[in-house]
Amino acid sequence: MIKSILKLFSVVFISTSLTVISTVASAEITINWPSIWVGKDSKSTVISELVDEFNSANSGSIKVVIEEQTDYDIYAQKLTAQISTGDLPDIFTVGADLLSILHRSGKAMDLAPHVASDSHWNNVYPEGALESNMMGGQLTNLPYELFVTPVTYNKKLLKAAGYDEFPATYDEFFKMCEAVTATGKVCTSQMTAKNAWTSMLWFSQALASAGGPNVYERGLDDPAFVKAFEVMEKMYQYTTSDAVGADAGVSGGHFLNERTAVFMNGPWFIARYTSDGIPGLHENIGVAPAPMLTGGEGAPGGYVGGKQSSLAAGKQSDPAKEEAVVKFLKWLTTPENVARLSYSSGAMFIVKADLPSDMDRLFIEMNEQKGNAPYVAKTFMNGMGSLPIVSEFPQALSALALGEVTPEGAVEMLKDAE
Amino acid sequence: MQIKKDEVVWLLLFIAPAIILFFLFFIIPILFLFVTSFTNWDGISAEFVGLENYTKLFNKKSFVRAITNNLYWCLTAALITVPLALIIALLLAHRSRGWKVFRTVLFIPQVVSSAAIAMLWAAMFNAEYGLVNFLLDYIGFSDYKNHNWLGNIRTANAALIGFSLCYVGYFMVIMLAKTAGISEDYYDAANIDGASQFQKDLHITAPLIKSTFFLCIILAVIFNLRQFEYVYLMTAGGPANKTQVLVVYIWNELSVQRLGRGNAAGVIMIAIGAILLLSLRKLLKSETYN
Repeated sequence: MIKSILKLFSVVFISTSLTVISTVASAEITINWPSIWVGKDSKSTVISELVDEFNSANSGSIKVVIEEQTDYDIYAQKLTAQISTGDLPDIFTVGADLLSILHRSGKAMDLAPHVASDSHWNNVYPEGALESNMMGGQLTNLPYELFVTPVTYNKKLLKAAGYDEFPATYDEFFKMCEAVTATGKVCTSQMTAKNAWTSMLWFSQALASAGGPNVYERGLDDPAFVKAFEVMEKMYQYTTSDAVGADAGVSGGHFLNERTAVFMNGPWFIARYTSDGIPGLHENIGVAPAPMLTGGEGAPGGYVGGKQSSLAAGKQSDPAKEEAVVKFLKWLTTPENVARLSYSSGAMFIVKADLPSDMDRLFIEMNEQKGNAPYVAKTFMNGMGSLPIVSEFPQALSALALGEVTPEGAVEMLKDAE
Repeated sequence: MQIKKDEVVWLLLFIAPAIILFFLFFIIPILFLFVTSFTNWDGISAEFVGLENYTKLFNKKSFVRAITNNLYWCLTAALITVPLALIIALLLAHRSRGWKVFRTVLFIPQVVSSAAIAMLWAAMFNAEYGLVNFLLDYIGFSDYKNHNWLGNIRTANAALIGFSLCYVGYFMVIMLAKTAGISEDYYDAANIDGASQFQKDLHITAPLIKSTFFLCIILAVIFNLRQFEYVYLMTAGGPANKTQVLVVYIWNELSVQRLGRGNAAGVIMIAIGAILLLSLRKLLKSETYN
């Protein structure tokens, strides 16, 4: 009898313990984050540290799991499909070109109630930054990373070609390219694969220079688009032989290896000049606004840039999970953490952060030039507001580079894509 | 054979799972594809637009080029890849010394990720540091020192299709397996008649594996009609849309949220595939089913 009671007691004890353990274990909320800030990305180290620190501080209650997304373009395509199917990740970053679709999908978490109920967001964002991001009274994303895309150039290679300063006009720029070519080096890094990112930035600069910062409002019929393609047509005469079909890795790699003298990308690339560039490269790099087109509507010193990645979250049915997601978003947007991210990568953020005084020289120069710029125009990718046109751009650019179409023909290809 | 009445119930019961799965995962998606191809569905909302998607597609040069490129791929598979596989299979069927090594080497691309191979070949074709140009320069073709194989309109398609020939091993193995089943009696008889090796290949082996050869042609055409990963990874349809193929075109339409138009392209692709396969079946029927 006693044996039976003991057996029953043991069974009840074990099963109760298991239930308690499983309840405790299941109480941990897992937040999945398909992140592009992994691998070679300049923000990967600090992002990984921030996630680890958050997980430690919330051990047993919240766990953020990074799903590594090593290809930016494939991530963007995957996210587009997820927006369509309504199967959004718990937390994700989204480019400016997808913000409208994200809002229309109705599947993103509305952060407006959290902004209204908590002073954190209003304290860390500049005035009006969140309001300007609202659509239909909802806030489906938090603006996060900003970018500008000045010219970065190799001072050593330009000096060897007889240039101490970066040219201010495209006429002088192409003369400089002739001189650089004569030294056995290649003038610019270009690409046409995927979204033709670095070449798209050059095109955006030339476009803003030809038609002014509001050129996108006038549409593809504006002559500035033809003028910008004329600049690109020349640009491809002074680039590497693998530019047509090259991706950002190849394009950036040529500059990192001192094969090319001039390169254009965002401030997040600053860390890579040291980590992936040939020894001494960082010291030789100069920063300048893009050249101007003579007779264009742009102004000297004009910059191109805008919102890069915004933070967003999928709609949650569980209030506890929603709170956990919001908690992590707050963690990512504290001024201290943003300062760490900016310091390590060189990337710029909209969140107000006290940056250390010993920030990278290139970051400081870019920031100063941005501050003095008469305008910061949108990139072609963000300014056009049309995914089909943006998607056709690499094909139009490669057709132009190979002499298949004229600059007018390249514009027609873009129109045809719509 | 007459099926008894009580057997019909069992028959239906046994084939029901297959039919249900076929209906769920094939018929319904195709019907969905067909219906949405007449809408401007962008993943969020949809309105009926009639034949607009189809007319717009056929007015686009890049779409027409995608169709012709796919036909080009199919034709190359039928006229080059499979015949080349047949020749290699006939040679390896002699079981000469080292034949197993060749068989394995030629089959290796099948067991390696196609994405990895595509990236490797993209690097080999690179104009600045690619091995292909280095070798060409080394043997005296210095004009090709910086030739951009995948970024040149004249050579992009040829480079892609040339690279795809490394998959010849798949068809070679199928035909080689068929040769193993041929009775030795035929060859003994031919030996007695004094036939050469070439005559034995031509008059015994080749005719006896003809049905497998035609099967390989049909398979190759199907594979090349749905060509995606090599093109997507190596050129993404460029330069200037010159290497565009149907599935990459559909992918591009879907990635810019034009799901209705992408589905219309999908319907056209199914129609082309059906026409091609029916034509091939009719053309090869008498031989295949002998």
